[in-house]
Amino acid sequence: MTEQDIIKMVNEVFADSFEIEKGKLKPEANIFNDLGLDSLDIVDLVVALQKKFGITIRSDERVRNIRTLGDIYQFILIIKKEIGK
Amino acid sequence: MQLKRVVITGLGAITPLGNSVGELICAIESGKSAVEYIPEWEDTIGLRCKVGAYVRMENEKLIPRQSRRSMGRLSIFAVQAAEQAIKDANIRPEQLTGGRLGCVIGSTMGSAESLAEAFEIMSADKDLSKLPSTKFFQCVSHTAAMNVAQYLGITGYVLATSAACASALQAIGAGFDAIRLGKQDIMLCGGAEGLHPTVVGSFDVLYATSSNYNKEPKKTPRPFDAKRDGLVCGEGSGILVLEDLELARKRGAKIYAEIIGYNSCGNGSHVSESNHQAIVFCIEEALKSAGVNPKDVDYINAHATATIQGDKEEAFAIRQIFQDGVPVSSLKGYLGHTLGASGAIELIASLIMMQKSRIYPTLNLEEPDKDCQGIDHVMKLQDKKINILLKNCFAFGGINAALVCKKEVV
Repeated sequence: MTEQDIIKMVNEVFADSFEIEKGKLKPEANIFNDLGLDSLDIVDLVVALQKKFGITIRSDERVRNIRTLGDIYQFILIIKKEIGK
Repeated sequence: MQLKRVVITGLGAITPLGNSVGELICAIESGKSAVEYIPEWEDTIGLRCKVGAYVRMENEKLIPRQSRRSMGRLSIFAVQAAEQAIKDANIRPEQLTGGRLGCVIGSTMGSAESLAEAFEIMSADKDLSKLPSTKFFQCVSHTAAMNVAQYLGITGYVLATSAACASALQAIGAGFDAIRLGKQDIMLCGGAEGLHPTVVGSFDVLYATSSNYNKEPKKTPRPFDAKRDGLVCGEGSGILVLEDLELARKRGAKIYAEIIGYNSCGNGSHVSESNHQAIVFCIEEALKSAGVNPKDVDYINAHATATIQGDKEEAFAIRQIFQDGVPVSSLKGYLGHTLGASGAIELIASLIMMQKSRIYPTLNLEEPDKDCQGIDHVMKLQDKKINILLKNCFAFGGINAALVCKKEVV
């Protein structure tokens, strides 16, 4: 899975689960301030990312540090690499 | 303590016959039935009834996602009906948020579709991490009241009645009491229900559903008819604005009717079999609280779902109190049984009958069953001035409710 694949799939989660226009999906977009997610959405984001990528991140403390869409791309990339090892 | 008088100043409805009060009435007046064969229900093993009355949901995306995410079908219906009702009553935004306006909205349970989804997610591999955050809010018993209150910013009373098919009428009764006692000035009251095979199944396992008309869906349900064979489930929401008469007059609100009496009671005898003694008691107490005699009533909107036992008991009770002196009709033949929403949707249609001095007949009633005779069945459109009407609702659990409304507000 390439970085481009990850970006595309994460963006699909935001478009499908949170009905956010694709034009707003930029790496620097803050998921709270720019994309309007709240605490309940973060629960659903974790559920949707787990399903989309076949990963388990619900208890991963690093989720708490996510602020931007770019942070998510990088986080998934790291998780995928960890699984690969 | 001087009790306040309570009037109805706004109506809103999402129904299988249309998503507004106007569409609902237009369909009833043209004798249309919303009941259809549902091919997907063939997939549910053991389900005998294959007919139902779904709402054609529309414009749900006008509700912002962060409000909509906690709503199952019934809450979306309730929000849309509530918006219609507050618009009809000309309620101002500051009234919604002022703490003197509340809501009571009932349903049999939370969203049946969402409950089924939650079970499917959880039972597949018992993995809680797959459960979305808002599923709980769609499943809870107060989901409709909670979602309407959150969406509209209501800061007064927020209550949910849960008494199956009597839920909406109990909600209206609770709102009536809240205003009468001076606790609230305005209440949005009604009920909501979402249709799902599991909902039909709850009646089907008791042989209470219609199963002989799967190929002729428009011929069922058949309230009071000799060939009735059970109820047909529907869905939707009806919301009414109840208001302190003084306030309504002060702001020049349009008044549909005054609520003058209400009662609810248990039958104390059986969870699923209705009982005419308890129905008689419920209606007589409602009439007594309204200060009217049976002969004063101009129209009875029956519960009559077309079950063999329920219709017989209701007809018995009506016969005992009113003999054949008051016109009676049921709207279930048009709409199916909208369950927790039925008391509100059917009351709304009855208020329009009152407004138009016209009684809509019981659709599919061709030959009153011998057990249901001796009352004045309305079998064709009838022009009649209605000053006082009685609305009945009876529910599983042996719960009865009756409401009395009067047009002339003196």
